[in-house]
Amino acid sequence: MTAMEQPVEQPLSVATPPVPEQVLEVTGLKVYFPITDGIVIERHVGDIKAVDGVSLTIERGTTLGLVGESGCGKSTLGRAILRLYQPTAGKIVFDGQDVTSLGGGALRAMRRRMQMIFQDPYASLNPRMTAGGIVGEPLDIHHIGTKTERRQRIEDLFQIVGLDPAFAERYPHEFSGGQRQRIGVARALAVNPDLIVADEPISALDVSIQAQIINLLERLQGQFNLTYLFIAHDLSVVRHISDRIAVMYLGRIVELASSKGLNTEPLHPYSVALLSAIPIPDPAIESKRRRIILRGDVPSPAAPPAGCRFNTRCWLKERLGNPARCTEEDPQLRELAPGHTVACHFAEEVAGSAEQRQVTGRPAPAAVPGSLPV
Amino acid sequence: MLLSVRDLVVRFRTHDGTVNAVNGVSFDLDEGETLGLVGESGCGKSVTNLAIMHLLPKPAGRIEGGQVLFEGVDLTTLSESDIRLIRGSEIAMIFQDPMTSLNPVLTIEEQLVETIRAHRKVSPADARTRAIELLGMVGIPEPASRLKSYPHQFSGGMRQRVMIAIGLALEPKLLIADEPTTALDVTIQAQMLELLQRLTNEQGTAVILITHDLGVVAGMTRRINVMYAGFVVEAATTVDLFAAPRHPYTVGLLHSIPRLDAAADEPLIPIEGVPPDLRVAPVGCAFAPRCAWRLARCWTETPPLSPLEPGTIVKTTGPEATHRIACWNPATAEEAVAGAPIRPGFVPAPAPDGKVDVVEEPGLPAVAVPAGPSHEDGA
Repeated sequence: MTAMEQPVEQPLSVATPPVPEQVLEVTGLKVYFPITDGIVIERHVGDIKAVDGVSLTIERGTTLGLVGESGCGKSTLGRAILRLYQPTAGKIVFDGQDVTSLGGGALRAMRRRMQMIFQDPYASLNPRMTAGGIVGEPLDIHHIGTKTERRQRIEDLFQIVGLDPAFAERYPHEFSGGQRQRIGVARALAVNPDLIVADEPISALDVSIQAQIINLLERLQGQFNLTYLFIAHDLSVVRHISDRIAVMYLGRIVELASSKGLNTEPLHPYSVALLSAIPIPDPAIESKRRRIILRGDVPSPAAPPAGCRFNTRCWLKERLGNPARCTEEDPQLRELAPGHTVACHFAEEVAGSAEQRQVTGRPAPAAVPGSLPV
Repeated sequence: MLLSVRDLVVRFRTHDGTVNAVNGVSFDLDEGETLGLVGESGCGKSVTNLAIMHLLPKPAGRIEGGQVLFEGVDLTTLSESDIRLIRGSEIAMIFQDPMTSLNPVLTIEEQLVETIRAHRKVSPADARTRAIELLGMVGIPEPASRLKSYPHQFSGGMRQRVMIAIGLALEPKLLIADEPTTALDVTIQAQMLELLQRLTNEQGTAVILITHDLGVVAGMTRRINVMYAGFVVEAATTVDLFAAPRHPYTVGLLHSIPRLDAAADEPLIPIEGVPPDLRVAPVGCAFAPRCAWRLARCWTETPPLSPLEPGTIVKTTGPEATHRIACWNPATAEEAVAGAPIRPGFVPAPAPDGKVDVVEEPGLPAVAVPAGPSHEDGA
C-alpha cells in the first residue's frame, strides 16, 4: 500500500527509512565506459553504454535472475551494484542506505554485506593461497573474530558448502572445478553477507556438476536467508533458481516478471525469441517446435539503434509492417500485468500470438501460424 | 556403411603418467546419418574424432588399438600425405572456437580459396566464384565484398558461418562438428543449428555432432552415443534415448539440467562426485564410484556395451538401431523418471578396499552450523 502511494518523482529521503523489505533498490543506473582516441592527448570520442538506465529491486531472501546475451551489460550491472565499477548516473540503495557514492571505510563496511561469486573457479582463486586462506581472507580484511574463531569459522564454512575441512591446507589446483566453485561460495559466505551477486556461477562447470552447485546455492539461501542476484545467459537455469527474472538487451531491462510469468507469458519479442532459442532435451518436443530465428547480431552498445534497441532484429516489428514508432520512440517499461513490466510499444500484440503460444507450449490454434522470419 | 570405428583405444603419454582417453570405442555411421556424441569434458568424445582425423597432439597422443574404417579404408594405417587427401575433402571438421580456428592474418577469401584449390584443380577465378557462392549459402550479406575481410572484422556468429562455409566447401561425405555452438549466444546458436541442419540435409552430408548439451543433440541428431571416461556407456536412437534412458549416467545427466518445459520447482538431482582420474587404468565400471545403482560386480568387472534384451540381433545404424548400454544394473523405466533407484531396500554396493567412494560430498553437516560472527562486532 505504502509503495503505491509513493509518487514516482519523490526523492528518497535519507532520514529514517522504514525497515526495508527491499534489500536492493537500483534506480536509473547508468555505467558508461569512455572510448578515447589519441596517443599523447586522449580525447573522449564516445561511450560504451554498457548499462543505460536500469531500475530494479530485490526483496530480502529472494532471487532475481538477470538474463541476456554476451555484451548486454548484465555483468557490468552486477559489478556496478557492488561498486566494483563507478556508476555514471543513477542510484543504488542497499538496505535503506544510499551506497552510490560511498567511499573509503564506509564502502568497505558496506561491502561486507554484499559479496560476489565469480564465473571462472580457476581464475578467481589465488593459486598461491591455501583453500583455507582463501575462505578466511574476507575475515582478515574485515578484522572479524580472533585467530581461533576464524579457524573455527573456516572449518564451519567448509562443512556448509560440502567440503571436507581437512582440505583447508590444500591449494586450488588440487581441487576439481566443482570443488573450486564451492570454495568460491564459502569465501562469499564468510562475512555473513545479505546479498550475493553470482555472475555465471555454473557456466564453467560440467553438466553433472552444475546441479550440485545450483542445489548448494538453493540450500544456502534457505539456511541463511540470502538474497541473490543471479546472472546467467542460460534461461532454463535462471528460471529454475529465480523468483523474478529481468531480461536485458543492450544495456536495458526489456522485461521484468515473475519466473512463472516470464515463462508462461513472455511479453517482449526478445524474451519470446530467447525462450524459443533454448533447445529442450526431448526429441518429441524439439521436432514440433519452430524456432524464432533472430536475424543478425546484437548492435554495438557504443551506438545503440534509435528508438527501440531491439528494432533491428525484431520479428514482431516486421510482422506489424515496420511501424515508425519502433525506430522513433524509445519504449519505456510499463506494467501490463501485476508485477510484469515490459518495454515494448506493441507488447499487447505478443500476448496470445502464435509465437508466444509456441514457445510456452500452449495449444496452438488449428491454423498453422503464418510467417515466422527465417 | 560410411564410417566404422572399431575398438578404438587412444592413450596420451604425459609426464604425469599415461592418460587412458579412449578405452575401446566402437560405432558405425551410414551415409547421410547424424550421430551425436554426448558427454562431459574429458569423456573422450573430442579425442575420438581427433584420432579419426589424424589430429591427435603428437607425440603424446597415440592410437594404441582398433580401426577407423572410412568407406572400407582403415584411416589409422594411412600416411600423413594420404590422410591429407581425405581430410577437408571427404571428412571436414568444424571446431568450437571460430576465432582460433581461422587464421587471423589471412583474408576470408584466401582461406576459402586455399581450401578449395588444395583439393580441386580449379582456376583462382573459379575458386573465387565458388567462395562467393559459399558465403552466400551460409547467409553472409554482400559476400563478394566481405571476401576481403579479415576474421577479426566478423562477429562470433559470422565467423562460425565462415567455418561452416569452409567445412562444406568441398561437399564432404562426413562433417564432424565439435561443440560448434558452445562459444555462441543462444540466439546465434539457434541461427547456426538451423543453418547446419539445412545445409547438411541438402547435401546429404553425414554429421557427427560432439556436444555436452543434451538439448542440442535432441533436435539435431537421429542417433546418440553417451560417453563417459573414454567408454560409450549408452547407444540408442535419439528417440529411444530420451524416451527410455537406461544407463544411470544418462539418467543422471537428464536430471541434472533444469528443463525449460518442466515445472520450475522440480528439484535437480545432481550426480555426486567428480569424473575419474583417467591416469588410473579403469577397473570395473568407470561410473561406479558416482553411481547410485551400483552392485558389487560393478567395482570389478567392466560391463560391455550390449543390447537391452540379451540375444537381440544388434543393428548399429539407421532408425532401427538397437538400444545398447554398458551397465550391470540398468535403471528401470520408473527409476529413470524418478532419477534414483526406487527398489525397496536397495543400497549401492560399498566400495571395496583400495577404491574410493564419491569424493566430493562428505555429507551435509548433521548439526546446525553456527551463523558466524554477526555484523555488529568488528570492522
